[in-house]
Amino acid sequence: MKTINPYQDVQTLEARLAARLAAGLSAQAQTLPHDIGERLRFAREQALTRAREVRQHAAAAAPVVVGVSRGAAVLAGAPAWWQRAASVLPLLVLLAGLLMIHEWLIQEQVQAAADIDAVLLADDLPPAAYTDPGFAEFLKSPAP
Amino acid sequence: MASDKELSDFLKSVEKRAFKRTVYAVREDDSALDIVQDAMIRLAEKYADRPPAEWPMLFQRILSNATMDWFRRQKVRNAVVQNLSEFESHDEDGDFDLLETLQVVEDSLGTESAAEAVSRDQILRLIEAEVAELPARQREAFLLRYWEEFDVAETAAVMGCSEGSVKTHCSRAVHALAKALRSKGITP
Repeated sequence: MKTINPYQDVQTLEARLAARLAAGLSAQAQTLPHDIGERLRFAREQALTRAREVRQHAAAAAPVVVGVSRGAAVLAGAPAWWQRAASVLPLLVLLAGLLMIHEWLIQEQVQAAADIDAVLLADDLPPAAYTDPGFAEFLKSPAP
Repeated sequence: MASDKELSDFLKSVEKRAFKRTVYAVREDDSALDIVQDAMIRLAEKYADRPPAEWPMLFQRILSNATMDWFRRQKVRNAVVQNLSEFESHDEDGDFDLLETLQVVEDSLGTESAAEAVSRDQILRLIEAEVAELPARQREAFLLRYWEEFDVAETAAVMGCSEGSVKTHCSRAVHALAKALRSKGITP
């Protein structure tokens, strides 16, 4: 009969047994059906394809030398911040122009109304105006 | 930057264990394959430029998350939570009895007498079945610690728990497996 040592290190025993069990699992994992193995291979290839795509995308975003002219390398890639800022400049100019035109039209309308008012005020008051109830009321109201 | 071959070799080295580990959790081959593929693609997309030494932990973390995502999608989170609480099992045996059980099972797996009683293939299938029956956290800790050969700190990092919890889960898993196997007749 086997003698069990009660003072044996439990953790060591656990680790040894766990290693045996893990070895058993590994052995069992090697006997996967063929179709499972093929689908895992397909999954791996999909992942590798995705990794290549990501890498190519990252490479495309990085600056690359596209030409050399008289000793000066011409770089292509992500534009600098000032280039991006310059690209919105025409839009800003257009917006400013539209606002100026709008303001000029309003000024024109105000000026035209003022001219009409000036002509009316400078003209003689027609007698029929004194029969107008609104004008009579206006005359009675206190000056502002 | 790591090459395609390094990534391919890494994935090849972990894919079978990853599949098995996921099957133990979700109990469906098709779903497990989808989860493993998803984890591989996530690793390739996000971490292919990392040093290959970091891949094992990253992959296991991604695989765990992908498995949890699957459970969420399946709306069986309650079942998982129930499984997670199962680790609170009570060992009524004293240390001496557990020690005896462990030693008996270990001896059984490594001696001819076990082979005479049950074929090696049957024993392996039995081990696999008992691992699948472990509570989720115990199984995860056991597989990461002893199958993936992570140390306690790495296992804790992947599982998002303390090192003490990992030790507890692992210990309970080993004891549960030893008892279960012994009860199935794996004795000297």
